Amino acid sequence: MAHQHDSGSLRQGFVIFIILAFLTFIEYVIAITNQSVLLLTIVAIVKSGMVLYYYMHISKLGENEDSTDHHSAEWKLVTNRLGFWLFILSDAFLFAGLLTTRFNLLGFTRPDLDRNLGLIVTGVLLISSFFMNRAETQMAHGDQKGFLISTSITMLLGIGFLAGVVGVEWQRAPFSAGDSAMSAVFYMMTGMHAFHVLTGVIFLGVVLNNARKGLYTAENHWAVEAATVYWHFVDVVWIFFYPALYLIGRLVQ
Amino acid sequence: MKKSSSRGFGTALLLFILGLIAGTVVAVLLHTLTTGKFENGYLLDLPSWLLGALVAVVAFLYALIGYYGVVKGLLWQVAGTLLGALFVTALRAALGMPYSDMNTFWFTESAWVTGVMVGTLFFLAGVGAITDWYKMALGQTVSEHHTDVPGFRKYFGVSLDHKVIGIQYTFTSLLLLSVGGLFALVFRTELAQAGMQFLSIELYNTLMSLHGMVMIVSILLGIAGVMNYLVPMMIGAQDMAFPRLNAFSFWIAIPAAVILLSSLALGGFDTGWTGYPPLSVRAPLGMSMFFVGVWVAGWSSILGALNLIVSVLRLRAKGMIAFRMPIFVWAATATSIISLTATQMIGLAFQLVLFQRLLGMPFFDSTKGGNPILFQHLFWFYSHPVVYVFVLPGLGVISELLPVFVRKPLFGYKWVAMSSLGIALVGFLVWAHHMFASGMNEYLRVPFMFSTLLVAVPTGVKFFSWVATLWQGKLVRDLPTPMLFVLGGIVVFLLGGLTGPPNATVSTDLHLTDTYYIVGHFHDTMFGGYIFPFFASIYYWFPKATGKRLNEKLGKWHFWLMTPSFLILTLFMMRVGLLGMRRRIGDYDPAMGFGLWQMAMTIAAFLIAAAILIFFYNIYLTVKSGENATGNVWKSRSPEWQVPSPMPVYNYEHEFEVVGEPYDYGLPGSVYVKINSEEV
Repeated sequence: MAHQHDSGSLRQGFVIFIILAFLTFIEYVIAITNQSVLLLTIVAIVKSGMVLYYYMHISKLGENEDSTDHHSAEWKLVTNRLGFWLFILSDAFLFAGLLTTRFNLLGFTRPDLDRNLGLIVTGVLLISSFFMNRAETQMAHGDQKGFLISTSITMLLGIGFLAGVVGVEWQRAPFSAGDSAMSAVFYMMTGMHAFHVLTGVIFLGVVLNNARKGLYTAENHWAVEAATVYWHFVDVVWIFFYPALYLIGRLVQ
Repeated sequence: MKKSSSRGFGTALLLFILGLIAGTVVAVLLHTLTTGKFENGYLLDLPSWLLGALVAVVAFLYALIGYYGVVKGLLWQVAGTLLGALFVTALRAALGMPYSDMNTFWFTESAWVTGVMVGTLFFLAGVGAITDWYKMALGQTVSEHHTDVPGFRKYFGVSLDHKVIGIQYTFTSLLLLSVGGLFALVFRTELAQAGMQFLSIELYNTLMSLHGMVMIVSILLGIAGVMNYLVPMMIGAQDMAFPRLNAFSFWIAIPAAVILLSSLALGGFDTGWTGYPPLSVRAPLGMSMFFVGVWVAGWSSILGALNLIVSVLRLRAKGMIAFRMPIFVWAATATSIISLTATQMIGLAFQLVLFQRLLGMPFFDSTKGGNPILFQHLFWFYSHPVVYVFVLPGLGVISELLPVFVRKPLFGYKWVAMSSLGIALVGFLVWAHHMFASGMNEYLRVPFMFSTLLVAVPTGVKFFSWVATLWQGKLVRDLPTPMLFVLGGIVVFLLGGLTGPPNATVSTDLHLTDTYYIVGHFHDTMFGGYIFPFFASIYYWFPKATGKRLNEKLGKWHFWLMTPSFLILTLFMMRVGLLGMRRRIGDYDPAMGFGLWQMAMTIAAFLIAAAILIFFYNIYLTVKSGENATGNVWKSRSPEWQVPSPMPVYNYEHEFEVVGEPYDYGLPGSVYVKINSEEV
């Protein structure tokens, strides 16, 4: 019976992905045409809001059963979820600090980076979020095989993102970390984000391994949900880092 | 049983002394072998002596508890540190980079930093704090049930019981308090006279800087200890929401403390506890140990806060709505909101300096577009709110204990509850008042001045409530020790509060900044908001934890020796500050005319130390042969006192229900909690 909603949820995830991709394109156009910081900020907030609501299901935090049995699975799930979101909140302060650092040191200037490459890696991460959402939906509807495939694709795209940023962008950048505050900020922001992508890939690897052993069910898959929320959070961070590094401000050679 | 444990203690002491000698000799030998010279090899060379101390501590603990828990963790940490450092050294050698540096104790700085980080992971693996998670990652099922080893050994290894963890935290906090206090005594003695008598300027700077940060870590662990012990009991829970995370939060603080203290041996540093660049970019290797140590301790704080917030939101007993929670729970929640979020900022600030030191990334180098002021913004965004982390639980303890001892309801419960949150939230908006003289944009000064003065409003609410609660209260003639510390805390915190606005006001702060006046003000707030309530809570809840009551007579000696000495110390600090004594400086001009004040302060500091020794002796005496106290010693209404002491493992055998207001002392017929024992 759960399968009835399966295609509906999958379709919703796809529609959201299309809108996010469109907004990313709009963002790029704004950057190369009128460079309005205000518009770019609004687009980033809208994108992150959509990921938070539709992919990370932030509204689930409001679900609060009144079970007094503190050993029941439902009670544990709600508690775990709250704890994990508080961790995300804490981590968000780290990235907010990095953004503060970027705007304090660089103001409205930006480093000389390959914007096409930036758009490609952003696209890769966005597609990975789509597959992550797909994987979670499939798990929630008991499609174990689909989950394994979607999660594997997500992991591969995550590794692709890492290869794009660390393997290509870091090598091609026309500066090294010690050259200036600008280069230091670039390496620090992308490095800290890449570290989170890496931990996300490891997290997904653990979940994938345990899913293969059949440890998760449609009703009981907290680890999958946590990995999903973490993965989307890393995407949300990039939704802000990408314009901050590639789009906003005057180019400095 | 008793006999063998006392023999174990004798062996432990012997091993301590032997370990001290052996460690020192090994360090001197290493030093002589690697440098080929014996010229610096006198036996009290600081690094050698500290290695000896580490060996001694491990040997002592080994004799006490065997190869278990913290002993295993510390040994693994040493091994992990060496492995990490050797790995980086090998990597550097393979890449053709310089791989050894005699100025930074054989290894390069990057090898040391990597080493201590790997060492931290090894400690956690060795002590067993991450075993369950590792098994879960492999897909095995693990039990969350408490299975503690019997006897006192459970305090030295991983336990999931929030009460054990609370005591572990508190004990570690007291240990670090002693270390930090010892540092203070050493450099306070140096300050008794003008000129440098027995410390070098470098060592003075290191001790002064470490005193600050060791005390801060001690306070963070102290509040975590009290909150861990009390909050689940007060809200009627069996444990914290995440017991494993709770144990992890405690155990990660141990390697953090070891790394922080290792900076003393590894070259020291001279920035004060703030670690401002550009000085911190140039400081010796000890600076990096300081940064890494604080960063690791920050995780303890963040994860502990997360656990506490979730526990308060999810684990309250039936009927315990928000406005029936004990004030201490409100204070702990407000504190945890700050720890959870703002701690990331100091972590980031310290990481940025580390990256500049290790990789040359010029975040704070103004010749390459960096900005040292940025560090101060990030640093104070945490480090100002964190003083509220230090004092809010203490102020909560004051509000908690006052009604018990005056047998009257707490005045303005809701206002007091909200004032903690108010202080926490306003606390996020005041950080730049530490930077009035830093050269930041001038237009920022006035808004930050006003937001800072605004903090006085919620704090004033608390004072008003305390005074109104005391008003016409039924105080007994011979005040019990916890109440003495509560009243002492109120007076000292008032002094700290009243000396604050001159620093918050730009015009006067420009004169006062970086003087000893600030030091006096700060110590008043810390003692009034933390130390006094901390001791009050230890005296108050000691019977709950052990079933024995601390000796009243010794407790009063502790209080009456410490309080006047402390007041003399801080009032004189402010006095010499107004006369022009700079803070953080090891020497002063005898012509300034405050030699006598300095001598008086040093004597006062030693009297405080004597009072603390009395306190430790009191604990020793009580644990050994104290008066039994298993009942409701203070006639409290709080749920934890409604069951016999010491508390059973899962706290309450029967669920209880909150049916009334928490602080209706003296009102006939009022009930706060009803324990459903027989009715069901």
